This record gives sequence, structure tokens and C-alpha cells, in this order.
Amino acid sequence: MWNEIKSFFVSTRRSSRDEAKGRLHLVLAHDRAGIDGARLQELRAEVAAVIRKYVEIDPESVEILIERVTRDDSQLTVKGPLPSRSAVPAP
Amino acid sequence: MGRAIVITSGKGGVGKTTATANLGTALAQLGHSVVLVDADIGLRNLDVVMGLENRIVFHLVDAVQGRCTLQKALIRDRRIENLHLLPASQTDDKDTVSPEQMKALIMELKSTHDYVLIDCPAGIEQGFRNAIAGADEAIIVATPEVSSIRDADRVVGLLAAQSTPTRLLVNRISQHMVRRGDMLSQADVIEILALELVGAIPMDDEIVATTNKGTPAALNGKSPAAKAFNATARRVAGTDTDVVRETGIGFFGRLGRALGLSPA
Repeated sequence: MWNEIKSFFVSTRRSSRDEAKGRLHLVLAHDRAGIDGARLQELRAEVAAVIRKYVEIDPESVEILIERVTRDDSQLTVKGPLPSRSAVPAP
Repeated sequence: MGRAIVITSGKGGVGKTTATANLGTALAQLGHSVVLVDADIGLRNLDVVMGLENRIVFHLVDAVQGRCTLQKALIRDRRIENLHLLPASQTDDKDTVSPEQMKALIMELKSTHDYVLIDCPAGIEQGFRNAIAGADEAIIVATPEVSSIRDADRVVGLLAAQSTPTRLLVNRISQHMVRRGDMLSQADVIEILALELVGAIPMDDEIVATTNKGTPAALNGKSPAAKAFNATARRVAGTDTDVVRETGIGFFGRLGRALGLSPA
């Protein structure tokens, strides 16, 4: 009930304008990088394998993000959660 | 020597032909000599938008292949001084003409006119290659939609590769939709494409009505889109260096913005 009242006065939904902006930034970054889905998967698997040589990490959790910073400047980010301390077996 | 400007977009149906017709009309009204070139070989439409479809005898391909002189293929618009149309052929393929031939043709037109406006076909293939071949500058037409902006970005990249200076014309903006949060604003489009803005055209029923009649809205027109096209022409000609005002906001919208009440 309270939520309905609140959303009547304060717009909490993300506007379609913001959604369009967000989607465009992503799509354009990928378009400009000129790398298709299959190649990106290959890159992800290879990067995950390299990381695993140094740290114990779930290869499925590795993410590759291509984001646009400015028109001529896109950024590639590798994301992957490291295992918590308790999960690492003692050497 | 005149300036050759290609009007392009990547995506179809965003208003390239309408923009070419109205911008050309507006430039001619400012006293410049203008020739409109329909580079959409096989799918010509600039003739009907201009209402000159019944006066075509020769066309671009005839001129390129020497079946007539270039002068003979030009149709003079009787409504305004110094406005001409070079129609496309409706029966040939896009690869009938080469980029080199287009370059030579545009060069010849530039020697006799202040402005050569080239209406580019949709797509990024041969027709696009031909249309941009002879252009000194480009105007990208984009509507505030994801698909249009994505395609525009592709075209911007292709034009940058051949170092053609490029500016942006945002078409069909609806201010009340922007305010409601359901449309990208002209500022959003500029930010995403990182281009200099040359004009912003509001959504306007008058465009449909005038296109039905074959009379460009900019021709003595007082509608919001007509005014915006005439302002764009002044900016193209360099007589108006004012920043582009957000179209169709009205007094209270501007007041609200000045007071910081409504978003930019």
C-alpha cells in the first residue's frame, strides 16, 4: 500500500529514456569494438584460463565487459569474484 | 566554388529526403543557388517530395552516361529563384554509377551552384559510397530512437574514415515525450554521438500534410518544423551561429528550465 502511494508521488521507475541511453552505450561499445559474440566467448574462456593459473576462480564467473567511456574511448573490463578466504584450501 | 553536403543516416525512414527538400528550399529562400541531387538510384523520391515528379525528362544516370548534358537533366523549381533538382533514375541499379563518376558530377554542379545537397540512400553499401564520394561535408539525420542512433554511429565512423566533417540534425523530437521521460532529448543524442548539432526539428503534422501536396514545409511555412528547417539553413550558411534552441518547448518550458525546475 505504502509503496503504491509512494510511487504515485515519486517516480521510482527507470524511464524509457534512461533505458534507451543505457542500451545505446552498450550496443555502440560492442559495435565499435567490432567483436562478435562468439569471439567474445573465446576471449572470456582464454582469460579465465590465464587467471586460473594464478588464482583459484570459477571460470564461469568471469565476465568481460565492453563499455563506452566517450565516443573514441571504449573500455574493456574483466570481472570475476575471487573465492572468499575460507574457501581457499590451506597450502 | 560551392559546397557539397551529403544528407545521410544509415537507417531508412528517418527523414533524409524530407530534410534535403526542406533544407534546400530554405537555403534557396536565403538567396543562395541550390541544386538537390537524388542519389537514391532505383528508388527515387526527392522528386515527389518536391512536387516535381511530372517534369522529369532526363535524370542523373542519363547525365553521367552522356545521353544528355548535365544542364538538361536539371529541373528548375518555378516557386523559388535558384533551386534545381537532379532526379535519380528509377530503372537503373545502384552500381550503374561509380564513386568516381559521382565525384565528377558533383564537382561540375559545384562550379555553378552555391550548395549541392545530396540525398543519400539508406544503407552503407554502393549507393552510400556513391553519395558520399563527392561530398565536402555531411549532415547525419537521426531520430531520438535506439535503432536510428545506432545506425548513425556506424555512418559517423565511415565518414570519419574518409575525414568528411560531419554534423548532426536531430529529427522528430517531441518535447512532451522527452519531459515524460519517454524520449531521448537532443542533448542525449548529441552526447551519445558526440557530434556538433546543426539543427533540431520537432515532430510536426505539417510535414505529412505538405509532403502530401509536394510543397516543402519550409517554403514560406510558419509551422514549427518549417521554422526549424529555416533556422538550420541559416546555421549551414553560417549567418546564424546561435546555439540550437530546444524545439517546441515554449515559454513556460524555458522559464521552468531557467528556474531549474525542468530537466535539460
